[in-house]
Amino acid sequence: MRLLLDDLGRLARRPATWVSYGLVVGLMVFVFVVIGATANSLPDRAGGGQAALSVLTFPGAYDSVLAFLIGIGTLLAVVYGAAVAGSEWNWGTLKNAIARGESRAGYVTALFGAVAVVLAVGLVVAMAIGVVAAAVGATMAGLSTTGLGDATYLGALPEKLARGWLGVAEAAAIGFAIATLARSQLAGIGVGIATYFGEQFSTIFFPDIVKFLPFHAAEAAVGLSQSGGVTVGNGGVQDAARLAPDVALVVVLCWLAGALVVGALVTRRAEITG
Amino acid sequence: MTESVPGDGLALRIRGLRKRYGSVVALDGLDLSVPSGLVYGFLGPNGAGKTTTMRVLVGLIHADGGTIDMLGRPVSHFDRHRLFDVGALIEAPSFYPYLSGRRNLQALAASGARVRRGRIDELLELVALRDRAGDRVSTYSMGMKQRLGIAGALLSDPQLLLLDEPANGLDPAGIVAMRDTLRRLASAGKTVFVSSHILGEVRQLADVVGIIAAGRLVRESAMDVLLRDSGQVRVRVPADRLGQARAALATFGDVADGPPDDGHAWLSVPVGRDIAADVTRILADAGIYLSGLETEGDLETLFLELTGGQQTAGPAPAPDSPAHGGAV
Repeated sequence: MRLLLDDLGRLARRPATWVSYGLVVGLMVFVFVVIGATANSLPDRAGGGQAALSVLTFPGAYDSVLAFLIGIGTLLAVVYGAAVAGSEWNWGTLKNAIARGESRAGYVTALFGAVAVVLAVGLVVAMAIGVVAAAVGATMAGLSTTGLGDATYLGALPEKLARGWLGVAEAAAIGFAIATLARSQLAGIGVGIATYFGEQFSTIFFPDIVKFLPFHAAEAAVGLSQSGGVTVGNGGVQDAARLAPDVALVVVLCWLAGALVVGALVTRRAEITG
Repeated sequence: MTESVPGDGLALRIRGLRKRYGSVVALDGLDLSVPSGLVYGFLGPNGAGKTTTMRVLVGLIHADGGTIDMLGRPVSHFDRHRLFDVGALIEAPSFYPYLSGRRNLQALAASGARVRRGRIDELLELVALRDRAGDRVSTYSMGMKQRLGIAGALLSDPQLLLLDEPANGLDPAGIVAMRDTLRRLASAGKTVFVSSHILGEVRQLADVVGIIAAGRLVRESAMDVLLRDSGQVRVRVPADRLGQARAALATFGDVADGPPDDGHAWLSVPVGRDIAADVTRILADAGIYLSGLETEGDLETLFLELTGGQQTAGPAPAPDSPAHGGAV
């Protein structure tokens, strides 16, 4: 607990935390405001204008915001996880803790725990900001926001957020494990990004396999409808290639646990010579 | 190889320590006996295995063989709690660059043994970083980072302190302050194990010295014994009595001529400085009265002999620590 609390304090002071977070939130606000400002002027060919308006129409806009956060959030989470784990090797701070008699596996687990908490808080706050941005966009587009208080949607939101958090945490764990294997922040980030985009490209060739891969499973686990949402990354995934939400959740948990075990085992067995 | 050393009991006892990196043998059956409550200087040329030994001691790497007793307990790989009584600074000090010096110490204190309240302020004062404690470590000079690293090693008030090249990056005043601190810790009963390539520094600091080469201990001895057995005595005699003086001193071994000096000449006798009294007596018996005498405890020569002539990495001695002993 001592380590976890200290890790949280450190991550809160870390510029990478705020840069990543600012990027997600800034982009999200920009997108929803731009959609709101331009939706009515879009040509309605292929339902473009209508689709844009449906993104901002509450209560469906809740899903739009969450889809956006999970889509771009998994990409940034893999980078963030790699940055946090990799810097421990690059800066030599892991070495300090081990030399003080700290458990290697315990240290890594606490560090990832702190990352997961930061992601949870970040997701909830970003969701709130996203809803405000979507409401602003809806107002700009002349849409009613009466659906904001839809009890059915709001009732389901906590579970969706929890599932989304697990998906984002899983992506962070993947980045965490990659950087630990590489023992490098930069290599971890690079390989993490490559893994993310590699998975997207694989959709073309292996649609039945890709649905079990971490980023697709993370998105499927939230159980968002695919019509009208603003999605980043896996937006082109067809329904047929998606896992059912509960199955996807199990897959996400397997990836999350597997990545953590790999990170802890590699750290435990590592010869630290740098 | 290992001679009797002062002090009761051993803080650290290493026997047959072996470590190999692929085909490279880093430690080849290293034995060390580090007495409690003293400063132990761990000397060796680059690549001799000093840092590898340090890494094994703090569990960063695993030895291939051998035994270690630390603070009276046999060390096993899974017994990490043994390190709760150990403070270490291995290689370059490592910190979170975006955090302040104080916050870095707090982060360090969150791991391992618990650190009592107020300890961080004490240590910041001790290493003269209190005024800069709130600044980001990325703005620190190398010497400041080194001092912060020493503070980090002292966090848990350890019984055994392992320091790898602690004088790196320190200015002369910092070196003197560090030396005083380490001496004070040893006086308080702590054991200080210092690896260094700066012979002058070790000579001034250490009570006991272990010299390793190619992963093996080649000499372990109390510093005064080591210096007594090495070095030379230089005497200044009248130039017209040079031949007689050389003949009189020949009993000590090869006598070397030094440069002429204003109607006098210097002769060097290759024996330890404890022999200086005998040298003066023999010369006086021969009716030769010397006008100058210097003793030189030549750790460097001994080091080069023992390590097969391998050079130490760094420049030599710290500005305030001449390699030679004082004139009498």
